[in-house]
Amino acid sequence: MKNLPHQNKDLADPPSRNPRPIRNPFEEFKVYSFVKTDIPLDRIVESTEVVMDEIRRGYEKLLEEEAKELVWMVQYNTIIKAYEVAERYVKEIRYSAEDIEDFCFALEDTQRIPYLIPGPAGLYISALSNYAQEAEIVLKLSELKTEINLLGFRLPKGKRLIIEGDTGDFTGIGVEGGELVVEGNAKNWTGAGMRSGKILVKKNIGLHTGEWMMGGEIHVEGRVRGLGNIVEGKVFERDKLVYPGKARYPSLYY
Amino acid sequence: MKKEKHQAILDEIWPRVKRKHLYPEIPMPKVGELGDSEEGAAGKDEGVGLEMKEKQMTVNSAFLSSLKGRIPEEQAIEALLDHGITHYTFCPWDFHTHVALYAEAKKVMGDKALAKRAANYFIDVVSDTHCVKKRFSDIPELHRSLKKGKVEEVIASLYQRIWGIDLGVSSSGKSGKGYEEAVRRLARIPYLDRSRWNESILKFCRTMKPLLLEEQQGEGSQGGKGESSPTGDHDFNNYSYEEIDEGMREYASEKMALSEFREMVEDFSEELKEAGYGMEGGMGRGRGTSIDADVLFYMKLAENYAIPLRKVLVEEKGTLHPHSHAPWEVGSPYQDVDIWTSFGKIMPGITQIWKKKEGKGRGRVEGTPDCLIAIDSSGSMINPRKSLSYAVLGAACASNAYLRNGSKVAVYNFSDAPMGGKDTLDYTDRREAIYRVLCKYFGGGTALDLDDLVPLIRSRKNLDLFVITDMKITNLEALISYFGQIENRVTAVHIGENPYAARFEKAVEKRSNINIFTVKRKEDIPNIILGKIREYFHSTHRGP
Repeated sequence: MKNLPHQNKDLADPPSRNPRPIRNPFEEFKVYSFVKTDIPLDRIVESTEVVMDEIRRGYEKLLEEEAKELVWMVQYNTIIKAYEVAERYVKEIRYSAEDIEDFCFALEDTQRIPYLIPGPAGLYISALSNYAQEAEIVLKLSELKTEINLLGFRLPKGKRLIIEGDTGDFTGIGVEGGELVVEGNAKNWTGAGMRSGKILVKKNIGLHTGEWMMGGEIHVEGRVRGLGNIVEGKVFERDKLVYPGKARYPSLYY
Repeated sequence: MKKEKHQAILDEIWPRVKRKHLYPEIPMPKVGELGDSEEGAAGKDEGVGLEMKEKQMTVNSAFLSSLKGRIPEEQAIEALLDHGITHYTFCPWDFHTHVALYAEAKKVMGDKALAKRAANYFIDVVSDTHCVKKRFSDIPELHRSLKKGKVEEVIASLYQRIWGIDLGVSSSGKSGKGYEEAVRRLARIPYLDRSRWNESILKFCRTMKPLLLEEQQGEGSQGGKGESSPTGDHDFNNYSYEEIDEGMREYASEKMALSEFREMVEDFSEELKEAGYGMEGGMGRGRGTSIDADVLFYMKLAENYAIPLRKVLVEEKGTLHPHSHAPWEVGSPYQDVDIWTSFGKIMPGITQIWKKKEGKGRGRVEGTPDCLIAIDSSGSMINPRKSLSYAVLGAACASNAYLRNGSKVAVYNFSDAPMGGKDTLDYTDRREAIYRVLCKYFGGGTALDLDDLVPLIRSRKNLDLFVITDMKITNLEALISYFGQIENRVTAVHIGENPYAARFEKAVEKRSNINIFTVKRKEDIPNIILGKIREYFHSTHRGP
């Protein structure tokens, strides 16, 4: 009986005066400690980005100096001058062969690099390849939509540059003892002015092949569309020597 | 017995795992015996460790038993759960991302099976790396204890490099020195940057392609059909019908490219059919016979546009009353939503709308008339099965608007109709049938056969007409004269300025029921049609 008044009192009490322990639904998060781990991937990606920025800046400076109106004419002098400028910037950067490939794809991303001018771009990539620490460089460019010109320019002795995909005009011009492998097609003026070394094209090659070449060998596993005025050196088409050999008129279709 | 033991372990660790992943909305996982586990156990690998079907994870008991002595069962279960949950919470996250990753992979791999495999590897690398970085996980332990093929060994070498954890893979292993370059390339990819996944998977595939080709050739010579990933394969079983539907819609609107969409649908036709996509018997739940990718493209693309229709006074037998429930779709009228059965949520799959039915009696009430769509598919129009036709898209959007309001749509597709270049569909509410006729392309000249149109118009008391053409109709005068006699609302859309269009405009300028919209750029058709229709219906029909 003594308890009865108490019970009644309890019932009469408004909830605010007799608060029930309310459980915080986020209680568990109070003791939750978020474990964030630094993994080597973060460092690798960060350093890759830093190098890419440097390479990009070098290319932009090259364009500022050599293609002010975003127009660039392929001439002997412009090629030499642009390459010298590219060399100057490239020498200051520490990069790997993979950075060169990433740069090639970044060229097609207008968000990252606003202007892709195939001539200066090719010379810049050539300079990057020539000054890379690795003796052998593989560029997987099969998915690249643009065929870049002037790849393999002045490839020095002891370097091997393998390009997966097709290349544009003036591939491997002025090669200086290096070995250039194109695992696709190469366009016109391939190997022009090369001095020594080897160019291997796995598919077909365009007109003016080996124009003014002074030495070295060009091997084509597909068809040679036309030879240029060759001074010295050898050109093979499907293992058959086509220069020097029977008279094959330069720059003609056959 | 083993199964019960594994289930008990899972029950014990599940709250901890769930908490670690910040309470994801997924059901309690189960332990079971998965289909190919015996085959796998007998073979060189352990089979599949985890299966995911519509968010339900099932851990393979046989797989756990096969790992005995190499990793404690508790650790293996936790690692599998971490892996599975991360697919829901990080990568691929949804169907659209999954398909987008696959489409990018296909660009490099060229082959459907290889692209699927490459995308699966990429998704696994992203998920496991996310787990290792963001959550304390036993995934490295699991990888250390798994038997590896050549590709798995390269992936494990990659993990060693990017996680900084020894997984017991040496450079002199099966992958050897030849793959050192591949690992170096793979390690440079920003796996955890979601905004760069499309670019990253291209890079990933470029490096993995020779390895996967080699693996495929090896399997081909052994007559194998390809290994399953020990942490489970990623197929469309992971997604519900609604998720797939939503993903298709997003994919269609993002790409706006018919050929890419068609390629994707064809590549995944089996999986989509499993999920309930099939034209026969309706593009809905239930297994059909074939998927018309082009029709599906316009269907999903049109779902991204919603046209509100202003009702008009129509004579009915009686007023409408709520009769039954139907699932809500994007674009369905909000006023018909039943908030009580929809739990206050507007979300496809949850929200329900009232289907209304006429009661007894007679009177004039607000309603939506049926619609006759006349679409020109002559040679001067774009072939909707070759590239995106804005004319078909516009007509599809208009038909959706009527169907959503419970009206029926008839289609008259014509080129040189008197010579047989035509297809007619009577009034129906079957969406796929309407789309099929809209997507037909005849080519050739343009002439209407009024004998086809008249019965379709006369059979209805209340009817809207929607004509989409370039107006280069040889018997335009006959059409003008016919339009001069009818009182129905007519929306005529013509492409470009030409003398025929000018003649039509001049002839019907005094007719208030006919509205003409000129589209100078074909690409503007969807926007202009939708905007103008909205304007038109809102301004001319103000209700009783």
